[in-house]
Amino acid sequence: MPTDLRDLAGLDRLIHEPARLVLTAILSVVESADFLYLQRETGLTKGNLSSHLAKLEEARYITIEKTYRGRVPLTLVRLTDAGAAAYKAYRTRFKKFLEQT
Amino acid sequence: MVDIKRIEKRTVQYFYEDGLNEIALGLIFLLLGGYFFAQAAIPEGSPLNAMLSVLFVFVIISSGFLVSRFIRYFKRRITYPRTGYVAFKKKKPNPKRRAAVVITSGLIGASLAALYTLSPALKALFPALNGLLFAVAIFFIANKVGLVRFHVLAAASAAIGVVVTTSGVGDIKGVSLYYGLFGAAMVVSGLAALIVYLRRSPRPEAGDTEGPDAH
Repeated sequence: MPTDLRDLAGLDRLIHEPARLVLTAILSVVESADFLYLQRETGLTKGNLSSHLAKLEEARYITIEKTYRGRVPLTLVRLTDAGAAAYKAYRTRFKKFLEQT
Repeated sequence: MVDIKRIEKRTVQYFYEDGLNEIALGLIFLLLGGYFFAQAAIPEGSPLNAMLSVLFVFVIISSGFLVSRFIRYFKRRITYPRTGYVAFKKKKPNPKRRAAVVITSGLIGASLAALYTLSPALKALFPALNGLLFAVAIFFIANKVGLVRFHVLAAASAAIGVVVTTSGVGDIKGVSLYYGLFGAAMVVSGLAALIVYLRRSPRPEAGDTEGPDAH
């Protein structure tokens, strides 16, 4: 298999999905973001966003914390070290693939 | 295709989207303008003037504290309920960077002091120097976050400083005028950004801001 195709085949599919890629890209530059912000930025419905977050959480790429700010409930999402490493590796690999094609 | 760089940049811009940072800094600049005006108005050598000089450190320290409190207070009430909460990464303390900042600031301060000692007439250039220094700082931030209005503010800072100097208002009065005018410019820019933000971002209905209970 040519190197460029091997690079493409080796991409992390969990991150490669567009909605999850947007989510990890956002979370890679912040400490944490809440559900409302992620929903607004991705344009996903509540259900869809929850489903994507659940997949990322299952892979231990993110942590989800339910908390309160005053009396207002707050769902905080954070990229874990594993998630940050996976996103970095994805970026590097995808960039390499684009440069080769 | 997903434009990753654009998404990352947009996320960083979110901190400035509501204009609250400019409003807070603009108000501090107006306060400093008032402070320098008082210093220029009160006769040199009087006890009140000496007291004002001592107060300067307090004004600077309390300004930093007030800015962060102001931003946090209004973001909690205006921004987070509308468009969500984001905690930005805090930069890890970098001793080399900190030392570079201290040395650069020291060198700029020492150069200005030396120039002033050699030629007191250079004091008249203080408004322009202030304007240019802030223009450079704002230009760096503008380039980093990619917001056009920050480039405009950088240009405004330089222009106000130079115009105030060339108009011959004087040193301390000129500095107070620079801070007053540039502070007003920042408040206006921030208010304009805030109005646009409020129009674009109505408050979501109650219960529409949280993820399903599945989490």
